[in-house]
Amino acid sequence: MTITDNFSRRGLLATAAAVTGALVIGFWLPRRTEAQSFNPEGAAWSNETGDDEVNAWVVVAPDDTVTVRIAQTELGQGVWTSNAMMVAEELQCDWSKVRPQYASANRDAKEMAPAWTLNVMGNGATDPNGGGEPQFGTRDRTGLAGIPDSLYRRMRTNAAASVKDGRYYLQLAGAEARDRLLLAAAKLWAVPVEEVSSVNSVITHRGSGRTTTYGKVASLAAETPHPNPQRIRIKPPSEWTLMGTEQKNLDVPSKVTGTAVYGIDVHLPGMKWAAVKSCPVYGGKVKSYDFERIRNEPGVISAIQFPIPDPVLIRGRIFGGGVAVIADSWYQAKTAIDKMPIEWDVPAANATRNTANIRAALIASLDEPGTVRVNVGDCDSVFRSAARIVEATYSVPYLPRARMEPGNATVLVADNRVDIWIGDQSPQETRRSAAQITGIPEENVYLHMCHLGGGYGRNGNGPQAEQAIYVANQNRGTPIHLLWTREEDFINTTFRSIGVAKLRAALDKDGWPIAMDVRTATDAEAPGATAGFDIAARYFAPNYRFSTHSGRFHIPVGTRRGVGAPAQHFYRESFMDELARAAGKDPYLYRRELIARTNLPYRADMIKALDIAAEMSGWGTKLPEGTARAIALEERGAEAGGHATISAQVHTVSISRDGKVRLERVDVAHDEGFGLVNPLSVRKQIEGQVTWFYNDAMYQECNVTEGRIAENNFDTFLLSRINEDPPQINVTFFKTGHWLDGMGHDRGLSIQSNIADAIFQITGKRYRDLPFRNHDLTWT
Amino acid sequence: MAMDLTVNGVRHSVDVAPETPLLWVIRDQLRLTGTKFTCGIAQCGACTLHIDDRPVRSCSVPVSAAVGKAVTTIEGLSPDGTHPVQLAWMELDVPQCGYCQSGMIMSVVGLLKRRPNPTDAEIDAEITNACRCSTYHRIRKAIRVAAASISARGGAL
Ligand code: FES
Ligand code: FES
Repeated sequence: MTITDNFSRRGLLATAAAVTGALVIGFWLPRRTEAQSFNPEGAAWSNETGDDEVNAWVVVAPDDTVTVRIAQTELGQGVWTSNAMMVAEELQCDWSKVRPQYASANRDAKEMAPAWTLNVMGNGATDPNGGGEPQFGTRDRTGLAGIPDSLYRRMRTNAAASVKDGRYYLQLAGAEARDRLLLAAAKLWAVPVEEVSSVNSVITHRGSGRTTTYGKVASLAAETPHPNPQRIRIKPPSEWTLMGTEQKNLDVPSKVTGTAVYGIDVHLPGMKWAAVKSCPVYGGKVKSYDFERIRNEPGVISAIQFPIPDPVLIRGRIFGGGVAVIADSWYQAKTAIDKMPIEWDVPAANATRNTANIRAALIASLDEPGTVRVNVGDCDSVFRSAARIVEATYSVPYLPRARMEPGNATVLVADNRVDIWIGDQSPQETRRSAAQITGIPEENVYLHMCHLGGGYGRNGNGPQAEQAIYVANQNRGTPIHLLWTREEDFINTTFRSIGVAKLRAALDKDGWPIAMDVRTATDAEAPGATAGFDIAARYFAPNYRFSTHSGRFHIPVGTRRGVGAPAQHFYRESFMDELARAAGKDPYLYRRELIARTNLPYRADMIKALDIAAEMSGWGTKLPEGTARAIALEERGAEAGGHATISAQVHTVSISRDGKVRLERVDVAHDEGFGLVNPLSVRKQIEGQVTWFYNDAMYQECNVTEGRIAENNFDTFLLSRINEDPPQINVTFFKTGHWLDGMGHDRGLSIQSNIADAIFQITGKRYRDLPFRNHDLTWT
Repeated sequence: MAMDLTVNGVRHSVDVAPETPLLWVIRDQLRLTGTKFTCGIAQCGACTLHIDDRPVRSCSVPVSAAVGKAVTTIEGLSPDGTHPVQLAWMELDVPQCGYCQSGMIMSVVGLLKRRPNPTDAEIDAEITNACRCSTYHRIRKAIRVAAASISARGGAL
């Protein structure tokens, strides 16, 4: 295979001279054009501190270009821009000259965080309601538990927490750099620092009117320590000028020209490609494979068996072992591996699992004691004497994230150095994996971060890095780009657990719940099992019991967008609709009254959300036949009195007589807390989540057949297209008095129960099992 | 087998098996990585590029089918990212993860070449690319913006 003309090798960017021992790696930037202009030749990421680095987050060039280091991964949520905004707000630099760049996970292995980032309380950004306390976990050097005290603190991208957890120290980073730039100017002019100030990267001395720019004093600032870092003050929301404004996303221009670099786009000199097959039954491994059969296929170099990735490295998940075929091009590797006979060694018990027996086991578990999470009052006696009991059983399927970019990683292992090019949501964990698998210390592991083609709850951390590191470690000196097919991507992912729930309520004579018993069941390893039901009740019931139940299955479960909330929200809000209808009351007013009866700290905000969404939608006005409205409340952190995100959504849905569902409009009332960092990104996230959860409600499921996942590409795992996007998505933001608890992953859940209730209103049929495409939606 | 391909106006000679999907020749041989791989079975449209101005799903087209024709990828749409569709995409800040957007933009350009001012029904029927981030809401608005700017320029792409 040769190419005979001299096309420009556009993909060639990192200057990885694969010379054993003497390795020179250019630092990796997400845009080729930028990277070329940075001329990264020979510049090692870990040495890129440069004279003009003011602190680890801020580099100011002589022309006032400000490079802001971003420790989270851009996967469509806008972090590339919002993190930069938090730094730039304090820095008071010219926003048009801000250039984000990924932070170095290697430096993070070597350097400790500056002391001023460890003390991250409000510092001026106090919350009158107490919501300003950052919800940091314990400081753990590995970053596995809580937020580490290594250089960039939290490098994970998860839990919709990039703003919530990062805001304090990112604002501090900008403020620290600003203070030092001002100090440098004051030093230069021999004037008191109190007399200098800055706007848009221009520093002015009040008395004399003299001016200079950040770029001109940056190298002096780099040598000027902050005299009192514990006193750095960050701006409260009332002083924000950049944060809170709609800013276009800085990664967008590269994404409309095809120049943005994702992991899949990485090409290195001498690089070989690997296609893999993992055992489709989790927990299984390769029994044998016949490389001789493909040895002479074009481009084929070798095959390597790899073990079940060590669960310790990937948060306990057990995937399958497998085999990789290495070839000159990926398509050759893939074609060859498809022809290679592979026999699997599959645990017999796993191969007997299917959707029906898994679901049956979960339903049976509901009648066992389970773990009682909340028990208020005396449910049993109220149920015994209740005049009226409403009961419903719901279920949801396994769901993968199915991001568009299939899992991949490029790894080069040299004698005492590992380089990894990857879109990754936990670089600190991947760094650790590399060290464990290769025996090369973390200080010598370099991650060159790429944008990620979708995350949706940590898709950026299937075992693609571990597989690639393993294969590259067996091929030291050769960069290996391992890429999954779509089908492999479905195998090598974790799933939102299958789930079932039984909800019972005893109603008084006016139809209000006087007792409620909630039982939910998921895989025992499923995160978020208590979401949405973990306090006495979002909706008031004087006697309330909530227990969780579980089974153990071999399908690896994980944190898909929204974690536990989407399933539990479907159960809870569907049940509220059922109770309201049993009581003969309006579902909006029924919810409103039950929230008003609680003592939840944010009940006024919850009521406000419902009121605004109802009003926006024209709640109560007449609709054409075959069209209905439904409402639901979405909240996160409502119980704690700290960070929270509260919204309500009304969906207007029509259903044709032959059962075609059409989402006509969505009206969203959304909490903005004290202020959103980038309201444009929030709007985009809301719009995206409307359709994301529409897909969950209408189409998506993964079934288990003989221990394997049946749906493994977009012909069987269905995605809606533009024709199903609602003509109207209306969003109203309203101010509340707390910090937001993130909004990247559970802001469209309502659509599940709302479509269920619309189906009920239009067809008279109540469906309690997702997805709805499995049900008869016709009516006459 | 050696074949001549014209991609973005540049002739290349490539030596690959003729049944190799065009996508992989474009990405791996020509290193034009703006065109993406997602499903490999013509379902998602992430691999959309043009052969003689018609959008095709290059994961499912053999390279031999492009011989003697003009192939255009996202990189060849405009020299500097100023095609009306690219400008509209930036104005509406359409992309989220962005992975689908090269293919999406190529599909939309294909539609606008045939229908400079498409109806909603035409958009629904013709733009069948998948976007897992669900940026569809902004895509529709951006198509309107692009159509308006095309008509202001005289009505044809
Ligand atoms: S990759 Fe070609 S249509 Fe999906
Ligand atoms: S922008 Fe992420 S898939 Fe379309």
